[in-house]
Amino acid sequence: MFRMDEAMRKLKILADSAKYDVSCSSSGTARSGQKGKLGSAAEAGICHSWAADGRCISLLKILFTNKCVYDCEYCVNRRSGGTEKASFEPRELAELTMEFYRRNYIEGLFLSSAVEVSPDHTAEKIHEALWILREEFGFLGYIHAKIIPGVSPELVNAIGLLADRLSVNVELPSDESLALLAPQKKPKGIYLPMKQITETMAEQKTLKGGGNKFSTVKYRGQDLSYLNPQGGQLDPVKLAGADPTAVRAAGGLPVMAREEAARYGELRTYKEKFAPAGQTTQMIVGATPETDRHILKMSEGLYKTFFMKRVYFSAYIPVVQSPKLPDVFTAPPLAREHRLYQADWLLRFYGFEADEIVDEKHENLDMEVDPKVSWALRNIRLFPMEINKASMEELLRIPGIGNVSAMRIVRHRKMAAVKFDDLKKMGVVVKRAKYFITCCGKYYGDIDPEPERVRPLLGDGMIIPQGVRIKDDRADVIRGKLSDHRDGVQLSMFSGGFGTDGTEGGNVHGLSV
Amino acid sequence: MDYLYDGTYMGLLCCVYAHYYVEKATGIFREGEYQTSLFGKVYRVKTDEDKARRVYEAMEKKLGEFTLRRSYLAYLSNFPDKEMRLLRYLVFGFKQGRGFNNMHGHPDVFGVQEIEKRIYNERHRYLGILRFSVIKGNRDVLYASLEPDNDLLELLADHFLERYQAEPFIIHDVKREKAIFAAGGDWYIAPLAKDVTVQLAQGEEFYRALWKHYFESIAIKERTNPRCQRNFLPKKYWNHLTEMQV
Repeated sequence: MFRMDEAMRKLKILADSAKYDVSCSSSGTARSGQKGKLGSAAEAGICHSWAADGRCISLLKILFTNKCVYDCEYCVNRRSGGTEKASFEPRELAELTMEFYRRNYIEGLFLSSAVEVSPDHTAEKIHEALWILREEFGFLGYIHAKIIPGVSPELVNAIGLLADRLSVNVELPSDESLALLAPQKKPKGIYLPMKQITETMAEQKTLKGGGNKFSTVKYRGQDLSYLNPQGGQLDPVKLAGADPTAVRAAGGLPVMAREEAARYGELRTYKEKFAPAGQTTQMIVGATPETDRHILKMSEGLYKTFFMKRVYFSAYIPVVQSPKLPDVFTAPPLAREHRLYQADWLLRFYGFEADEIVDEKHENLDMEVDPKVSWALRNIRLFPMEINKASMEELLRIPGIGNVSAMRIVRHRKMAAVKFDDLKKMGVVVKRAKYFITCCGKYYGDIDPEPERVRPLLGDGMIIPQGVRIKDDRADVIRGKLSDHRDGVQLSMFSGGFGTDGTEGGNVHGLSV
Repeated sequence: MDYLYDGTYMGLLCCVYAHYYVEKATGIFREGEYQTSLFGKVYRVKTDEDKARRVYEAMEKKLGEFTLRRSYLAYLSNFPDKEMRLLRYLVFGFKQGRGFNNMHGHPDVFGVQEIEKRIYNERHRYLGILRFSVIKGNRDVLYASLEPDNDLLELLADHFLERYQAEPFIIHDVKREKAIFAAGGDWYIAPLAKDVTVQLAQGEEFYRALWKHYFESIAIKERTNPRCQRNFLPKKYWNHLTEMQV
């Protein structure tokens, strides 16, 4: 066991640096326990606590090290940044995870890392920690491992055999932005491991996309050029060269000693599959000028191409002053992030296409009303729909009706007609839906369903007044240094009433590392 | 006529039996929790295994397994009028037949569906927020205490048994003074006094401190939002949470 004060120091620094990673879900794997071992995994995931910012704690989210050789403009751990540095030893980390898990503090481990020395060096350390955890300690809980862009295919494979979920961050919504803000990360270095993960899962026939709309689609060696509507650097032909089997055939493996190879999953008959909970990714929103349309098209591309389970967004919180970045006083676009998550749900669970949610005329999401209402108001000719006749697909298009309530309506209709009073008990948000439905032929809205009249009634209070600034100690300090002028009042964005809606993505904002 | 029963599930099923074969029930109460009314008659339902079995088998045969599970969950809940809700639900079910659970909008179905959701939610919450401590014994034992609204102790057993295959554990419902004792793939529930004292194993305080430390570090300071936190994790649960202790 490591020393108390030292453990405290490391834990603080490395949790502090990891907290901007958005994902914390422990879902996607169902694994039963085994005799003499510790742990199991629940398909739906379990939250274990909620931190003071209201975000759930499910996994021990931590960096292996925050000593980084990269110098990405937006990141707290950048080489030129002044944060205090620390690293774990693989065994320390494994022990800590075991002891936390045993006390039911956590559902598993989310291990990310800054790039120390090189991507491969870091990945080897991550692999070692996971190996000790799984093989030596017999840990069967959830593991989410971050794959660092540019890591070699053998290591991706080895880590994937130990972890439940893998993620490679796309970081920024376009190649141009990436080149500007994170010049050491190359698009190819990001997409290669993604492709490898997808292909490995396709090989073992466990590939399933996100939500219920992508999970049934079949994978057919996707064309990656889709990802890059602006045209450019991604070349599917070159990417195809990174096929893991090709790498192995090219002699990637034999150099390793036999026991080494066993350890990296080549000769081992490990019962667990490669990344059973699939892969996810994350991008920063608001640091660069991309439109919502661009971002949503990109997410859709990621779902369709790589069969991602989730694409996370993180509103850019300015932590660094740089001419390439928005001013440190800029408020993080939390409302925009929230709308993007809503749109993301429409993509994954409601059968919407990105083109329907944001078209050429409407490049950005409507801040006043949610994307579904916005779509419905633009397509008001389709409404009102008769609850007792609309198909499942049509029901899902009605604002105020979700997957559960649509399913209940369809089931109920087989027994008896659905009446207006039943809707609330089925989970329909009636105050929203009533302008878009008829029930047994009757319209129940208090005013006519005209977009201009209905629209003001359907806002959800997400609008943030112009000119609001973040209340942030750091910002205050910098501001003090830059000028002696001060605004009288600073509104805090974080004391507001939103971000409490219970959706996983709805209340998480931050940076990736 | 108001029914009184002994508070067991079997007793409750006998009330359903009596509703059909004796006289219609206007209210069902646990013995000892009933306030005598001036006008109504009171009928003390005697718990009879055969009668209970007949109702149970009818439910299984005519309404299916899903209904059985739902009914038992309703019984475990703390809803004050759960007995009458359950009775109305079953009466409606027997009338309507299989598939009545699909009538989500019907008040009798909704009444029980609501209870079921509440107890499932609380169970799921406890899967996450139960905190085990390693306590001293002949060997290390994991001990957790809780005060749930619903009587859901037995619903927690399987999950943790699956998880802790190599370690014995105790889950103590302090409010109801009983506990799950589990070891070696088996578990049972037995009474356990409220004020039982446990002796912490070596190293326990250390990991508690580490966890608290982590809990504080992971929150993004600028985003502090206590209302959101309490929304997900109401204060009534804080007593038994390691990270919330000063």
